[in-house]
Amino acid sequence: MSTQRYRFGFDIGGTFTDFVLVDVVSGEIRSYKTLTTPRQPARAVLEGWHQLLGEANAAGSEVVSAIHGTTLITNALIERKGAVTILLTTRGFSDVLDTQREMRYDIYDLHAPPVTHLVPRPLRFEIDERLDGLGNELEPLDVTSLEQLSETLEKAGVTDRIEAIAVCFLHAYANPAHEQATCDWLKARFPQAAISASSAVAPEIREYERMSTTVCNAYVQPLTERYLARLYRELTQAGLEKDLYLMLSSGGITALKTAGEYPVRMIESGPAAGVLAAVFYGEMLGESNLVSFDMGGTTAKMCVIEDGRPAMADNFEVARVHRFKRGSGLPVRVPTIELIEIGAGGGSIAYVDELGLLKVGPESSGADPGPACYGQGGDQPTVTDADLLLGYLNPHYFLGGRITLDRDAAARAVERHVAEPLGVSITQAAAGIYQVVNENMISATRVHVAERGVDPRGLKLIAFGGAGPVHAYPIARALKMQGYICPPGAGVTSALGFLTAPVAFDFVRTFIAQIKPATLAEMDEIYAELEAQGRSTLLKAGIPAQEIEFTRSADLRHMGQGHEISVVLPYARLADVDLDEELRPFFYAHYADIYGYAHRHLGVEVTACRLRASGPVPHIRLSNPDMSDDAVAPDLSAARALKETRAVYFDELNDFVETPVYDRHRLTVGMRIAGPAVVEEQNSTAVIGPSATAVVDKTANLVVILDYSE
Amino acid sequence: MHQKKRKSVMNQYVADPVALEIQWQRLISIMDEVDNATVRTSFSTIVGESRDFACILVDQDGSSLCQSSFSPPNFCVVLPRTAKALLAKFPLHTLQEGDVLCTNDPWIGTGHLPDYVVLTPVFVGGAPIAFIGTVAHLADVGGHRGDIEAYDVFTEGIRVPPAKLYRAGRENELLFEIIGNNCRVPDMVLGDLRAIVGTHQIGVRRLQEFLTDYNMDDIAELSYEIHTRSERLMRERIEALPDGVYEFGLDIDGYIEIVHLHAKIEVRGSDIYVDYSGTSPQTRLGAINCVYNTTYASTLYPFKCALVPGIPNNEGLFRPVHVTAPEGCILNCTDPYPVQARAKTTNNINQALFGAVWPILGEHAQAGSGSIWPFSVSGELEGYGAFSVHILPHGGRGAMRNMDGLPPIAFPHNSSVTSTEIMETEAPILMLHKEFLPDTAGAGRSRGGIGQVITFRNIGDESIAARVRPDKMFCEPPGIDGGQPGKVGEVRFNGELITRFPSLEFKPGDEIEMRMPGGAGFGPVSERPLESVRRDIEMGYITLAHAASEYGFVVESDELP
Repeated sequence: MSTQRYRFGFDIGGTFTDFVLVDVVSGEIRSYKTLTTPRQPARAVLEGWHQLLGEANAAGSEVVSAIHGTTLITNALIERKGAVTILLTTRGFSDVLDTQREMRYDIYDLHAPPVTHLVPRPLRFEIDERLDGLGNELEPLDVTSLEQLSETLEKAGVTDRIEAIAVCFLHAYANPAHEQATCDWLKARFPQAAISASSAVAPEIREYERMSTTVCNAYVQPLTERYLARLYRELTQAGLEKDLYLMLSSGGITALKTAGEYPVRMIESGPAAGVLAAVFYGEMLGESNLVSFDMGGTTAKMCVIEDGRPAMADNFEVARVHRFKRGSGLPVRVPTIELIEIGAGGGSIAYVDELGLLKVGPESSGADPGPACYGQGGDQPTVTDADLLLGYLNPHYFLGGRITLDRDAAARAVERHVAEPLGVSITQAAAGIYQVVNENMISATRVHVAERGVDPRGLKLIAFGGAGPVHAYPIARALKMQGYICPPGAGVTSALGFLTAPVAFDFVRTFIAQIKPATLAEMDEIYAELEAQGRSTLLKAGIPAQEIEFTRSADLRHMGQGHEISVVLPYARLADVDLDEELRPFFYAHYADIYGYAHRHLGVEVTACRLRASGPVPHIRLSNPDMSDDAVAPDLSAARALKETRAVYFDELNDFVETPVYDRHRLTVGMRIAGPAVVEEQNSTAVIGPSATAVVDKTANLVVILDYSE
Repeated sequence: MHQKKRKSVMNQYVADPVALEIQWQRLISIMDEVDNATVRTSFSTIVGESRDFACILVDQDGSSLCQSSFSPPNFCVVLPRTAKALLAKFPLHTLQEGDVLCTNDPWIGTGHLPDYVVLTPVFVGGAPIAFIGTVAHLADVGGHRGDIEAYDVFTEGIRVPPAKLYRAGRENELLFEIIGNNCRVPDMVLGDLRAIVGTHQIGVRRLQEFLTDYNMDDIAELSYEIHTRSERLMRERIEALPDGVYEFGLDIDGYIEIVHLHAKIEVRGSDIYVDYSGTSPQTRLGAINCVYNTTYASTLYPFKCALVPGIPNNEGLFRPVHVTAPEGCILNCTDPYPVQARAKTTNNINQALFGAVWPILGEHAQAGSGSIWPFSVSGELEGYGAFSVHILPHGGRGAMRNMDGLPPIAFPHNSSVTSTEIMETEAPILMLHKEFLPDTAGAGRSRGGIGQVITFRNIGDESIAARVRPDKMFCEPPGIDGGQPGKVGEVRFNGELITRFPSLEFKPGDEIEMRMPGGAGFGPVSERPLESVRRDIEMGYITLAHAASEYGFVVESDELP
């Protein structure tokens, strides 16, 4: 028996902390869910640790790695509960944190509140120094202005209260010298403070976005470091002997110390893990082109996965004033799995607007009072209420029977707020809510898929989250996808992503130049420097040098163009690449893939060199405890798993039809279910529409294929 | 599920309002996709960084159905008017698949030459059933290198009459050559035009897919229903306002000479009639004349914001608002008066309207704002190539009854300010600072938004051309209901105050300082809570002297922060 056979992953969400433990030898997987303990997050973690290790009869020393993701950082930003932070900028530019891009995120709502940043004006300080766009020094760093800052703080008697310092000088992406010297000075003067320099946190051109990212990082750094140190200590005391790794928004994991320095990279760690789980299930099924679709109580999140690689973005927004309004948040420029998030979940509220149109979301009933059918006092109709009225949900088997859903309450809410104002029947109203919320997700997915230059007809949807499998059918169908996949245990799916992530860290350098043969050699030098950084970061995370892999990409555009596309470069040494025969056509082809054409008469310009350093992808193999291999049914008809039949509404049939309902826990490998059908399991329900057939694969996934022949 | 359309008022959407919501939202998402692609494929900072463009879907009659979420409001009102004019010259039945129409004629389009309107028909079943439209401010259209000083429109650049930019999918080479040969940065201008046409192909495909998905032949019925419902709601909102005649006159900077705007607004039943009689005549002193289209669009905007802010913009909302301006006045100028800098006038129209109707708009009126102060440099230099770089910064915004004015932010149009680092990378200039100007905000129960200052220095070895277009250097942003005006702005060239703005020769070492106005206040100053004044002092928005003189706020010296 191997002494180190377990990988332990846990995700601290706003409401629940999810755990998953995989036995890498047997492929056995265990999961656990408990309420988050916001004041002492470690308490819930220890509970899960003991629970799962106990179940597996394993010792802490048998855990080869523990991987963690958390919404703690995001919440600190949203609730503004981070550190007392000061900001140092180039003289004359500290108000950029307020003026931002001078753009309104809502052009007609004159009352739209401003996006207020994290460091108030009196805590911003301007330093005398100046670089130009090439990083040349125009004005040296003036240490006396640092001394003045220190005196000001001393006089105000607040020196000891400064917990974090963000430093963002103009053009520091091109030359970090002034920022580095400033940080050295600050470290000596403010030993207690966490210090973030823009040239380290987000070395990319555009001062507001870089400043915003640096400030966010500094703001959450002290609490992240304290929290991680404590968590690690407690896990060690509980028996963990190996390292604790942290999940990043980019889908990589990294060592504790690195994560503590760059907490801003962990903001989207939970959702990123969900996407990795989708990648993992896809691999098991031999599917590498997918859209992951996670629909929970308040939001739906979608991500395109191409060739097994999730779509990546180099920026996103956090802590939006209006959660779903682009431009109303704090910009953060770090590599992130590109998730489209919209306000469409089980709790999204339906209403009729002033034009007499049916709207769903983004407002949500939340957990309290929740949908009307929860019977907790909610009287607004929600998506879950519609799902219940349409027969998709079983009132007696919701969350495994923990809640009995009140059909009458759902009907009353839908009638009063939707059916009556629209002058339609309750069924039509419920079907309308279902359609509208689906269309919101369809539109968002369609745009997201199109922006990647991908044809949805080659994709499958992979649905998880409590409501995902209930809504997957119409979404996949509207996008003309091949089908959709419902992994077992929708609630566990996301946490599994922690266990399949490689150690990986991304690096970037802004470098703006027309690409000429000489430029290629310069780029090689930049990549070599980035590789050195990558090697050092990954060695610290325990990855042996020979196992470190580098992926080079570059942001490229036509000469003179304003925006760029990020392209993975398949070249180990650019100096050997023929510019006109290879690199230029390579760029034009990529560009044309996305936009349909390229300006082939124009030269190519690079704006940034990016490098991902990654360790090996951990291979885990699942066996399903509910479904041992020898249980392959001689009878492949699903009749054995039939629970009941009930009336279920399908849009394409324009009516309710008596529909078989199957118990997912009694399905066996190879079973085939023709739609329409409903498959129920403890924490989720999968709906299989009339033009679809589902097959149970060997790891208990429901693989649903759509039929477009009619 | 979706029935075949019927030509009657009782169309399918009355029976199936869910379909209307779903289809309308999908059209908006199509235009957002076109918009996104425009940002990501453009060449100029004015499109890619400043977002000075709009993407609009119009029906086969040229009426607007929806726009992308970030489109500047004025463009959305003008484009359908331009579309109708283009269709008058190129009637529907003469169009071929692959045609692309365009014009930059100020009197047909948005009122100045840099704004090109590009319109691509969407063919279904061999006939055009809708158009994807974009208005975009291109980086250069030739003409003199200045901005505001012009005798007539001919000196302001090349005018392209309604024309086919593409014929049946093929570039109109002559037109491309003419446009390219008549501007200073042809790669950028033609690159943007081609990029726009490329984004339209995305829109065309998406709309075709949309129609296939819903088994529709056209969008006539959908268009009818969107317009009808929107108009109905707009009329309800107007009807709720007290009938009456409201008037307000306002002096604005103009150029060299002060200009007077006069608005008389009649609210009658479910209609609003706005007349600008009494407004100053058109002028040749500066290119600040507005064509009717621009006046019309700028007039609709405050009413849209106040009455129906949440409804996706479309032509149905425009119908109950009627705008007249005497021909030959500065708000309805005639060809060939100069128009390039017309925003200097249009940005003030909202002040005339809010000044008149604020008593009936409650919390939805807004005091005067500090305006947009466009700045650009251009030239051709070693290391930079031919460049033309814009930045569109603003003064502070006006206060509202229950909200302080915001610090510098786009208003009444929408755009994004170019990053300092991008400016400095693309041209040999240095920005010495971009920071708030204390004491510029108008006092009031709600305070105006604080103004800002930016100074540019030429750090190259050669002279380049600089253009500056300030506003409110003479006439302050006006307050409402006792609120105080914002402080006027000023421009200093090497320290000297300047008031004339031809193309400036920006020599090595020269500095241009733009001190932008603050927004105006709303409500009596005496009603501002003292803790708000104290906070403004702490934040450095106002000095102690200002607090004392404007608010009568005196602090003991040991109380100082």
